Amino acid sequence: MKKFTLILLALITLISCKDDDPNMDNNPKFGSLDIDFINKVGANLLILDTESYNNQSNESYTISELKYIISNIVLIKENGDEFTYPVADSYFLINEEVSSSKKISLSNIDTGVYTKIKFGIGVDQSNYPLNGVANFIPTAEEQGMLWSWSAGYKFVKFEGSFTPQGGTSSDFLLHIGSHGEVLDNYKEVTLDISNTITIEDQTNSDLAIDTDVAKIFDSTNTHSLEQKSDVQVDPVNAPILAENISTMFSINNASN
Amino acid sequence: MIKNLGYIVLILIGVSCGSDKEDYIPIDQNSSLEFTIPSNFPEPTYNVTLNPPTEKGFELGKKLFYDGRLSSDGVISCGFCHIQDFAFTHHTHIVSHGVNGALGTRNAQPLHNLAFMNEFTWDGAAIHLDLQPIIPITAEVEMNESFTGIIKKLEEQPEYVKLFAEAFEDQKINSENLLKALSQFMIMMISSNSKYDKIERNEGSVFTAEETAGFELFASKCASCHAGTLFTDQSYRNNGLSINPQYNDIGRNRVTGLASDLHKFKVPTLRNIELTFPYMHDGRLKTLKDVLDHYSDGMVDSETIDPLFKNPDRTVMGIPMTEEEKNQIISFLKTLTDDDFVNDNRFSEF
Repeated sequence: MKKFTLILLALITLISCKDDDPNMDNNPKFGSLDIDFINKVGANLLILDTESYNNQSNESYTISELKYIISNIVLIKENGDEFTYPVADSYFLINEEVSSSKKISLSNIDTGVYTKIKFGIGVDQSNYPLNGVANFIPTAEEQGMLWSWSAGYKFVKFEGSFTPQGGTSSDFLLHIGSHGEVLDNYKEVTLDISNTITIEDQTNSDLAIDTDVAKIFDSTNTHSLEQKSDVQVDPVNAPILAENISTMFSINNASN
Repeated sequence: MIKNLGYIVLILIGVSCGSDKEDYIPIDQNSSLEFTIPSNFPEPTYNVTLNPPTEKGFELGKKLFYDGRLSSDGVISCGFCHIQDFAFTHHTHIVSHGVNGALGTRNAQPLHNLAFMNEFTWDGAAIHLDLQPIIPITAEVEMNESFTGIIKKLEEQPEYVKLFAEAFEDQKINSENLLKALSQFMIMMISSNSKYDKIERNEGSVFTAEETAGFELFASKCASCHAGTLFTDQSYRNNGLSINPQYNDIGRNRVTGLASDLHKFKVPTLRNIELTFPYMHDGRLKTLKDVLDHYSDGMVDSETIDPLFKNPDRTVMGIPMTEEEKNQIISFLKTLTDDDFVNDNRFSEF
């Protein structure tokens, strides 16, 4: 009886899906890619809550929460050809606290050798409505990344506590997103993959990206928490921090 | 065993050909709806080609609009605060009401001609119509729900499974399709059959002498902000309302964070204004006469009050009007009432 079931099973599967794979020989070749986001402070792996860090404004800080949205992933070949990952499937929430969120898996990527990766931090509101962007709402909602009263996403959420030199400890809270149509804090970054990444047919490749959150405070701009520790809809500080955030990513060649 | 086998076979057929629509549910054909721009209207801001309204999408949007499942207590639907008889406002309610008797802080705005608006809500917090419902759905004092929660509830309803499948190519119950369906319903809500429209389109109607006088006064005293055939220039302005300490509503500042946007609110459309009382962002003024009295005598100076209301010496001037002029303006404003729209069965709950 068991055998009979199996045969039947096989038969049904065969018959009912006979039209699924036409012209198999002419099909383009696809591979997949896992991207690991490795959150760091300077050269060290980020450790939530317990580890204390220092910024260039002589403030020590601990981090209780780090979340950011990665979107609109594009892989670029040496000749400039771009492979744009389907926008609707291209929204990811990286949450330091959840290790599975830090590995994003892309499938059906055109085979080839890629030398650059481009992606967005946040959601590109200048091109609303983007196909599929609303399907990211439940994820963002569960993770507290929705500014519900402004119908928009928080692109980056970075929270913890800090102590200025000779001062007392207090909390900091940096929420970066766009401010209606007045201020668009969505940023795109392009990283050179110096070792190149090769996508082969039906093969999985890996890429690692370092995210150095120390750059949120100290990069193109310097941000002192004592000056401003609560940045939410802040038209002065949010763009300054967004600019810094766009510099915090780099390809981790050691694991590539 | 044979019986079990039968089930397995059935399941397999379902699973192995998941991509074939016909195997799921018998669904009805969908057909597209015509989105017609009234000849006296501007081009829509909503890109209709990206979400073309269909019969089933509209039907789904309407069902969602009137369904309390979109709220945490199962009672508060969109239509609860947006009642058609009053051009989709919350009749006589000063501020919107939410789940479990919660009170909002702002007056529910009318819903019509939304396909022609740039931004939504009193402070422009939603930059696209498809995103606007996120605000009332998730606000604790309004519908207090989550999209995850709504999707779960809808998936349990066979009629929704069917309607989503009929309305959208991917057949899925998800946030994108939910919001698109609501937009399809809302963009069809065009109010363009008032007496004013018929005059503007030379369809044979004429103003009375009182309305003509009101129209001319309106053009010189009000139309710089309540501009064009939509009766709004869609800007944000402080119109000299005193701060209500109960709400201390910072207005547009909440969206932009700019000090210059403190206490500014969107210039509302005046279409169907006769029906949408009470007035202002917090519903503080009961009648159109109260509104005009505010502009003539009740304005309060502040940092961000609109310069249009000021004298050259920077004292507040407001809009000088005699009582007779106010009556004439009100007569004109009543020509903006569109009875066809508020009685249009396509948009009615029942």
